[in-house]
Amino acid sequence: MAAELLLKVENLSISLGSGEAARTLISNVAFEVRPKSVLGIIGESGSGKTLLSRALVNWVRPPLRVTSGRVIYQGRDLLELPEADMARLRGREIAYIGANPTTALDPTMPVGHQIEEKLRTIEPDLPRREARQRVIDLLDAVRIPSARSRFDEYPFQFSGGMMQRAMIVDALISKPKLLVADNITQPLDVTVAAQILRLLRDLQRDFGTSIVFVSSSFGTIVEVADEVVVLDKGTIVEAQDTGSIQKNPVHPYTKELLAKVPRLWHDVGSVPETNAEPVVLSVRDVAKTYEVKDRASLFRKNRVQAVRGVSFDVRRGESLGLIGESGCGKSTLSRLLSSLESPDRGAIEVNGVDVATLRGDALLSMRRRFQLLLQDPYNSIPSHVSIGATIAEPLRIHRLATGQQLRERVCEVMREVGLPPDLYDALPVGLSAGQRQRVNIARAMVLEPSVLILDETLSALDQVEQAKLLDLFDSLQRKHGITYLYISHDLAMVRRACARIAVMYLGKIVEIGDNETIFDAPAHPYTRTLLSSVSTVEAKPFLPRDYLLEGEPPDPIHIPGGCSFRSRCPFVIDTCRTVEPTLSIKAGGTATACHLDVDRLPAPSILAKARIGAAPKRMDSL
Amino acid sequence: MAFALEFFLRRISQGVLIVLAVAFVIFTLLRIAPGDPIRIILGPMATPSAMEETAERLGLRDPIPMQFLRYLGDIAKGDFGNSFIRGKQGGTTGGSQDAAGSPPVERAPVIELIAKALPYTLLLAACGFLLACLVSIPLGIMAGVKNSGWPQKVALYLSSLLVSLPNVWVGIVLIYLLSARTGWLPAIGYQHIGYVIIPAIVVAVELAPVMIRSISVAVATNVQDPFYEIGQVRGLSARTMLFRHVLRNAAVPLLNSFGAQMIGMLLGGLFVVEYIFSFPGIGLLTINAVFQRDFPVIQTVAIFASTVLVFINIAVDFASTTIDRRLKF
Ligand code: SF4
Repeated sequence: MAAELLLKVENLSISLGSGEAARTLISNVAFEVRPKSVLGIIGESGSGKTLLSRALVNWVRPPLRVTSGRVIYQGRDLLELPEADMARLRGREIAYIGANPTTALDPTMPVGHQIEEKLRTIEPDLPRREARQRVIDLLDAVRIPSARSRFDEYPFQFSGGMMQRAMIVDALISKPKLLVADNITQPLDVTVAAQILRLLRDLQRDFGTSIVFVSSSFGTIVEVADEVVVLDKGTIVEAQDTGSIQKNPVHPYTKELLAKVPRLWHDVGSVPETNAEPVVLSVRDVAKTYEVKDRASLFRKNRVQAVRGVSFDVRRGESLGLIGESGCGKSTLSRLLSSLESPDRGAIEVNGVDVATLRGDALLSMRRRFQLLLQDPYNSIPSHVSIGATIAEPLRIHRLATGQQLRERVCEVMREVGLPPDLYDALPVGLSAGQRQRVNIARAMVLEPSVLILDETLSALDQVEQAKLLDLFDSLQRKHGITYLYISHDLAMVRRACARIAVMYLGKIVEIGDNETIFDAPAHPYTRTLLSSVSTVEAKPFLPRDYLLEGEPPDPIHIPGGCSFRSRCPFVIDTCRTVEPTLSIKAGGTATACHLDVDRLPAPSILAKARIGAAPKRMDSL
Repeated sequence: MAFALEFFLRRISQGVLIVLAVAFVIFTLLRIAPGDPIRIILGPMATPSAMEETAERLGLRDPIPMQFLRYLGDIAKGDFGNSFIRGKQGGTTGGSQDAAGSPPVERAPVIELIAKALPYTLLLAACGFLLACLVSIPLGIMAGVKNSGWPQKVALYLSSLLVSLPNVWVGIVLIYLLSARTGWLPAIGYQHIGYVIIPAIVVAVELAPVMIRSISVAVATNVQDPFYEIGQVRGLSARTMLFRHVLRNAAVPLLNSFGAQMIGMLLGGLFVVEYIFSFPGIGLLTINAVFQRDFPVIQTVAIFASTVLVFINIAVDFASTTIDRRLKF
């Protein structure tokens, strides 16, 4: 049997540092990879999965040390191999793709040229022209549009998804026998991640490559892997084939992991509902265009239409979610809403007053009621200032409190957001990411805002911490009637937190409606596509095969006429090419910008639908 | 291509404005500085009426902006004026020696003086720069790639040592050791290529520490970039990654520090070194001109120097954007 194995890891341990202070990060890990199969390794952040995947290509550098074990590739121990022999395998028979494709290549050389460089290093006799053709063919095969001209473009001109495709080409160009893919879909949009997974599966079939697929997302792993090993704090706690691990997880940690996978349709519990309070924030036809220099022509500027006429209302104590792929304009919109920039046209009204007309004190107090929370909990907190002083700073700036009163107010807010008030005089060193985010929240909350904009605020946190903060936001909302605007690409979070959801595409809202309608019965093909590409462990009502989404949104410089989604819409009809659909109100207050009737779209998958329905008799029938 | 065209159009027009402004400032300063140039041209014995007549003839009594415009007009015709002091045949013809003799028109045109001195300066600059490169490029790269070990120590100690040596002192010591004491090399003046060696060493000693520092820092930064290690995992050798990718990336900050810092040091260094060694280049010409209040020479050299600086910076920026397309200027 052993001869059949492609890779066998035995008893592998890796530690950080040496001697007394050494910390073991990987201990006694063992697994096997058969030829032409996909092994999934799942682990949370900090489980040592990146380290493990690097050890597979013998890329463990001091102060990290392999303390025991063997990595046997086709009968040879990679860890013992002389550097020269290892160099003959690396990038040739054994390829590696990392989580961050944007820093993997030399930023000053065209992407294609670098892949060609690698190919010609591996096959020095290959004529340049042939090498180039092979790279272009493979770029084509991973569906990079206009591969021939993309060949000469630079890494910064590639989006994250394109770049990850290019790295896949780079890995597969040498027809490797083993591919180690370390969390490769993590930084990507769901739609792109879904495409990359599909692509990887196709390529694995065509090339017969074995893949070690490392990921922190159960939903992703089960979509590609034949077998799954579960890594917890550097040890393997369970190994099973993909089907059975989902049905019969044995180890408690596996069960916990599975339970933590966010659900969108099953056991979602009650979702937030809309209310009838007065409108707090009203956005009217807001647009923003940026000008960037066009390198290819003389004195010409390109107009990037980031936001192209967006309107919505948010009521007091309600949460609105803004979702869409990267580049859809949600970040620009968040900057406009938090008055970091002003819109080219349209109005943002707070309690009926146009923000653009405010000056002086009125503007200041409006800003106070309108707080923005960003994603990065690290850089936003000064490290040499005590936590209490950091939280108190906005109060000082707005001259709202002094002395004892100020201290009391800060302590009260700290208690409210779940920070022990004895941390008042402590420095922020040693705070976890979640606690740091709480400091940020407290800093916004001391001003008693009425609207909080959460721009990917929770994206950097793990599932558990995220859930805790969502609960916190909930209770703050109930207590103070705060309005939230969640700007996020995380559909599961939006499902759990938002009463209403707006879907953006190319700077416009294509569909807006309440939580249930958007997730269970959306009428816009794009909304359904987004939902179909989520990686989950549950059956989805919208199947990827019905909403197959290729490529990425067109760049916001050359937006096609007619419906802006038509270049990727699977249901495009003649009218779509010429007439731009407007948002029209459907039943239940949902507004959708599409010419097509809902009935003409594929019906939601029965399997999932049956489970969605709370009716117990249907559950029985499964 | 369109980018290059627009870049040069924009930058050259900016550059011309900068040079014009510099020229005007220098022109004005020299004219309001104490000391009457007519006295220098005609010598201490000249009568007031003769001085007045010469001043009128040379246009020195007109308002400064008018003089400046006239000067620009002359420059456009390729006429940078004549030296106040130096005669056509070379050598200094200070007014005092032959007060009655050679009228100003007989003095050497500035442009000719510069044309004669420039090749020497270029030779010295090239040799000094080359010498500095020979030492600092290998040392800088080695020190940058490995964060420890002897290359880094050598680089550190050598550059701290060199940076603390004043170039006047280095010059004198080298003259003493290599020329006066041993007679191996000639040192003062210029008769053949051998005369360039010691001055070039002094120039190199001044440049090398800065270059070692910038090169090792630039290389070290890029070696820490993920693409360097990932490249090796992708199957490229460490050598390829270093020579084809790291150095390419390191070139951008290097070009910048060259344009901003080193070129200035080089020019300054040349002036001092040429003076110490009586090396007949632009530096010596200028320093003598300063001592003799030979205004046309001073102002022409200043204009040339600022033009060179401006255009080297344009070239540096263009090279940077060509190497790294993310940059915009
Ligand atoms: S309008 Fe046409 S192209 Fe646009 S989403 Fe609807 S069906 Fe697709």
